[in-house]
Amino acid sequence: MKGMIFDVKEMSLHDGPGIRTTVFFKGCPLRCLWCHNPEGLSRGVELSYNKARCRGCGCCQAGCLHPECAPFGKCMFVCPENCLQTVGREVEASVLARELLTGAELLGHTFGGFTFSGGEPLFQTEFLLALAKELRGYHLCVETSGFAAREDFLSAIEATDYVIMDIKLIDPTLHKAYTGRENGRILENYAILRESGKPYLIRTPLIPDMTDTEENLAAIKELIGDDPWEKLPYNSLAGAKYQMLGKTYQM
Amino acid sequence: MNDLHRLIVNKEHHQYRHTVAWNLAEEYRERGLSPIERMSDRFFRMCSEERAVILEGEQTVFMRTVANIPDIFTEDEWREIKAHHYIHELGYMSNLSPNYYGAISVGLLKKREDADEYGKKAIDAVISLSDKYLEEAKRIGREDIVRVLTRVPRYPAESFREALQFFRILHFALWLEGNYHVTVGRFDKYMYPYLKADIEKGILDEASALALVEDFFLSFNKDSDLYVGVQQGDNGQSLMLGGVDEDGDEIYNLLTRLSLEAAYHNKMIDPKINLRVSKKTPLERFAEATELTRAGLGFPQYSNDDVVIPALERLGYEHKDAANYTVAACWEFIVPFVGADVANIGALSYPKAVDTAFYRHLSHCQSYGEFFSAVKREIEKQAASICDGIKDLWFIPSPFMNVLMDCEIYGGGKYNNFGIHGTGIATAADSLAAIKKYVFEEKCVSAEALICAVKGDFEGAPELFHKLRYDAPKLGNNDDYVDSIAIRLLDCFANALSGKRNCRGGVFRAGTGSAMYYLWHADEIGASADGRRRGEPFGTNYSVSLFARVKGPVSVIGSMTKQHFLNAINGGPLTLEFHSSVFSDTDGVEKVGALVKRFVELGGHQLQVNTVNREQLIDAQRYPERYRQLVVRIWGWSAYFVELDREYQDHVIARQAYTL
Repeated sequence: MKGMIFDVKEMSLHDGPGIRTTVFFKGCPLRCLWCHNPEGLSRGVELSYNKARCRGCGCCQAGCLHPECAPFGKCMFVCPENCLQTVGREVEASVLARELLTGAELLGHTFGGFTFSGGEPLFQTEFLLALAKELRGYHLCVETSGFAAREDFLSAIEATDYVIMDIKLIDPTLHKAYTGRENGRILENYAILRESGKPYLIRTPLIPDMTDTEENLAAIKELIGDDPWEKLPYNSLAGAKYQMLGKTYQM
Repeated sequence: MNDLHRLIVNKEHHQYRHTVAWNLAEEYRERGLSPIERMSDRFFRMCSEERAVILEGEQTVFMRTVANIPDIFTEDEWREIKAHHYIHELGYMSNLSPNYYGAISVGLLKKREDADEYGKKAIDAVISLSDKYLEEAKRIGREDIVRVLTRVPRYPAESFREALQFFRILHFALWLEGNYHVTVGRFDKYMYPYLKADIEKGILDEASALALVEDFFLSFNKDSDLYVGVQQGDNGQSLMLGGVDEDGDEIYNLLTRLSLEAAYHNKMIDPKINLRVSKKTPLERFAEATELTRAGLGFPQYSNDDVVIPALERLGYEHKDAANYTVAACWEFIVPFVGADVANIGALSYPKAVDTAFYRHLSHCQSYGEFFSAVKREIEKQAASICDGIKDLWFIPSPFMNVLMDCEIYGGGKYNNFGIHGTGIATAADSLAAIKKYVFEEKCVSAEALICAVKGDFEGAPELFHKLRYDAPKLGNNDDYVDSIAIRLLDCFANALSGKRNCRGGVFRAGTGSAMYYLWHADEIGASADGRRRGEPFGTNYSVSLFARVKGPVSVIGSMTKQHFLNAINGGPLTLEFHSSVFSDTDGVEKVGALVKRFVELGGHQLQVNTVNREQLIDAQRYPERYRQLVVRIWGWSAYFVELDREYQDHVIARQAYTL
């Protein structure tokens, strides 16, 4: 079973208990305006260009015969500053698991577990399940927007030990306006999570004038009651990543 | 920040300083005085010239008012000495760990009874100087100081405050004598009994004890600008905390904790805090120590008892001495009181060994094994040349230092070993990995083409350069392909020194430090096969290469704990740098603490954890006046960033930061 990831981060903070390794799945059905992982949006392999380091030498334009470079029209293997890199790696679950387990074994008892993040890990639920199976015995956490088919959601929370789920906005119209999708499925899945008995954490990114409004926060509070709830401060540094992917940050 | 702290930060106390224009060397030459007579006389005169200044609010007194220390030899004499002897650095025996407690617990009058004539004279000079402070305290009505100085340094300290003041006098006097890199040693081991007694008697509580330690720590910063080494901050005021005693019982007491706290509050670069840890050290202590890391001072630096003690024993140190180890100015392992090691006498350059073999032998090597043998021979040649080059080592004898050591060190202490650093292991291992993979295994580049590209600093070979620099295996990814090469390099170095005797009857110790050689050695060679351009520096100490893309701190620890440190224990830490935001909450602090614990469990020998904030450093280069207090770690010491030369600043900025 193959899946598409864009990063593996050792010692990720804020992604669950203990020293953890986080796998970032590539591809997401939502388009939140504030998204701080734009490389997780599209499913395909993309070219990232680090403009800040580019010296304008033109090496990459000279033309090359590498098949990997053909889709981009630029050579990735000559840049003296390594400004051009592909983002996205298609990988077999068992291969990825082997790599991940090396780090886990090294950390021994200090290792906290694995976190599946993204992108949206439930956008590749089968891959997630395959990976979770390979990593059985370790504490597994999934970070999801909750935007997923009911069956996918059920099987994903079944396969993991801890769920971190976003509730961004309660108003469906605003949800559609800011994330591109309505929140009906998300709220249904939240109800499932609540009944599942699985430990979980609700997260809300605090985006000025969008999610971070009195009405919205009050509405979330009303929905989730005394659930563990973490409000994440707005990450204003995300803009640079958009530029590297040739995308426009709409914030 | 209290007023005293502010005054020292603003260097207002420098107003009390003056310089002396004595031509002592000429006078001594005319009088035909011996080296020890000159040292003795100069110390006496320096003590006489010093005047007593007591700053408002300070508890620990003594600060330098004479800014310079005149030479004792004329230039001609010094040249003559150098013609007949190997002189290490400035000529004094530095990086020692004196037995302060041995004096504090009996008083200088008692020490005087056993001292030789020069020792007696030095002690008399120290007491006279102390009496000037006593008179000054009386004059300005500081009864507390009068009480302290009425007892110490003549008589044994009877309270924690007296013991701290006594230490300050001894440490001050050692610097005034001309010694440098005078370390503090195992502070929470020898000072704790005084604190404990005062707490039990009700003289101190935790808060008042902390205030005392903070005041005492401030005193290390009063004169430190006069103690300059290679750069401002390289002054060797290393203080050791924690660790086991000779019975294997762990020392971690109230003073350990107060010291960490005081350093955190003071946020000054001295004293430099080190912490001895082991497998047995509980997790919460690592979290406590990481709180200090969070202050951004580049310490504590950790040393692993499980590795260091047995490794020192292998080199011939008695168990009780090995168990009592501390660090020299930076990170070299030394034993207190009886050790007369010269822990930083030379440095081997791994990249230089690879470079020589690369140009001389690669084109006719049939296999990687054959090429590595050539590298090994170069390491052995370099090691032999360093060792053979040190003959007739001579030190300027310091009478007061001799008083505070437990054996006569100048004629030969109990241990007289020489430490040799090893620079650029990552550059060398990465270069070898690239050669192995591309020339011998994949055969995608010929030896000739590689040599030509490296020689030409990769001009006209952008694709090969890119491959070597960005795609080739790099140390720091927990990848046995490269890690095993680093293991072999360190083994080769250790074996090359093994069995050699030095001119003082000691052995040679292989180390993992670089000191300033990470810049100096890098200038000796051109580009290298790991894709390092000409002029680019190596990593500091036991680090991954500056431009290596590594998976993260866990993999770095995996790579850098595999080597056989039991054979190479002169010291030199792995440096991990984290972005300052990692420490913004307790979760981050605890996770870094847990990672340090794991490093120790995996058998790493020494670790330095730094916080960096690249954006801030760049801003500080632009607006130095806004960042006078910004501290960074250099190679074994912390410094104020804006006081460093540009090349050291740039290196700090270039270093790998794992932005989590």
